[in-house]
Amino acid sequence: MNIFQKALATALFVATASMAGPALAQEASPVSLSGDVKAVVTSFDAEGNQSVELVEPSTIVPGDRLIFGTDYANTGDEPVKNFVVTNPLPGPVRLAPDADAELVVSVDGGKSWGTLSGLAVTLEDGSTRSATHQDVTHVRWTLAEIAPGENGRLEYPAIIR
Amino acid sequence: MLTITAYVPIGMDTQKLISSLFATTVLATFTLSAPALAEGVDAGTLIENTASATFEDGEGSKTVDSNTVTVRVDEMLDVTVTSQDSGPVAAAPGEAVLTYEVTNQGNGPEAFTLTANPAVAGNDFDTTITAIAVDTNGNGVYDDGVDEILTGPETTAELAADEALTVFVIVAVPGGVADDDTSDIELLAEAVTGTGAPGTSFAGAGVDGGDAIVGATGADGTATGSLLIGITTVDLTKAVSLVDPFGGTSAVPGTVATFTLTAEVIGDGSLDNLVITDGIPDDTTYVDGSLMFDGATLTDASGDDAGEASDAAGISVDIGTVNGGDTFEVTFDVTID
Repeated sequence: MNIFQKALATALFVATASMAGPALAQEASPVSLSGDVKAVVTSFDAEGNQSVELVEPSTIVPGDRLIFGTDYANTGDEPVKNFVVTNPLPGPVRLAPDADAELVVSVDGGKSWGTLSGLAVTLEDGSTRSATHQDVTHVRWTLAEIAPGENGRLEYPAIIR
Repeated sequence: MLTITAYVPIGMDTQKLISSLFATTVLATFTLSAPALAEGVDAGTLIENTASATFEDGEGSKTVDSNTVTVRVDEMLDVTVTSQDSGPVAAAPGEAVLTYEVTNQGNGPEAFTLTANPAVAGNDFDTTITAIAVDTNGNGVYDDGVDEILTGPETTAELAADEALTVFVIVAVPGGVADDDTSDIELLAEAVTGTGAPGTSFAGAGVDGGDAIVGATGADGTATGSLLIGITTVDLTKAVSLVDPFGGTSAVPGTVATFTLTAEVIGDGSLDNLVITDGIPDDTTYVDGSLMFDGATLTDASGDDAGEASDAAGISVDIGTVNGGDTFEVTFDVTID
């Protein structure tokens, strides 16, 4: 554990130090990313009809459902290519079971990627099992090109652990 | 993960570096928070989400981060109470102890108010609550003078999320109860912050000034413990047989009278320190060495075995602890003066 912590500290330090480089590039970025989070409130009316509402998360507890969204826009005058949005899942949430099955995810901290059904988790004894929504550490979207002025929204549903 | 320091953030390597950084940082977060994931994340936990994009424009590969959105996990109020007694507790008039476990099923620290109800519908009799105590020394058994007795309003200390506390309810069983009578005692635990229908919210009452919200249990819980009266008594019968000097059974001087004392233990429980004593009748004399217990001779002297006997003091046999269903027989002889 001690070695692990040292290595982690080193990694984080380098991360902080080196972020200055990309930050400079962002000033001239033709792409904007804007994140938000909504809580999903499911209610039933007197006839038993279910209605789902997205609200600002005011009171949230384990088991509640959140939608994390990222709005993107190409504000430049040139198309951008190979647009890849990576979103690490916050530790306190898990990917909701009804997330899009085609969503590209990682279950190993972003080392390998694929749809969930094609991924496996290696256990401590070296054996593997099929990955589940609980195991997802990252989600990723890839767009070949965003035209100038084009915008869109990317979302994933999560459940608070 | 350890290879991260090998990357140098120049030129086209930026993209590679960024994705590696995510791998390191997020994996670390995931691993470190794993122990809290078993029963729901702790109240006050911050959920922070940031997306990052890489792309190519005319100038090359670039990276952009989104803003970070943060939400705080609120406190969920949930509690369960379970009876720790394996079945009805055997009881008799006097003190009885019932054992319960109160578990904070919420995700934040919470204290609970305890209420014991001795008047449960269907009871054959109702007890009186003497005290509610917590298992201070953690041995699962009520220790008078050791385990802390709660003073009214009986409230536990703050229990951490998922922490369980053993609680004793000490009751007084009234006299006049009959064998096999039962009585239930209900223990109610209520979150101090508040109770109500699931979803009821207490603004600002949670961890770090967050809200507290009532969970599926309603933030209260009850469990029922039972008492079963098992009164144990001893049924003692005395019989005598006579043998006169002439081989008959008349009571004349010189007749030997053999007394047989039969002790039958009745009930489901046990008794401590059962001692059978009897006096030597007037105008008779104890026959030395005639005291017997279940067919075995006991000495007349005191201290060397369970029995002692003398003409002046009578007979005494110390049987000790006995259980329901046991039967004992003591015999001794006297001669008629």
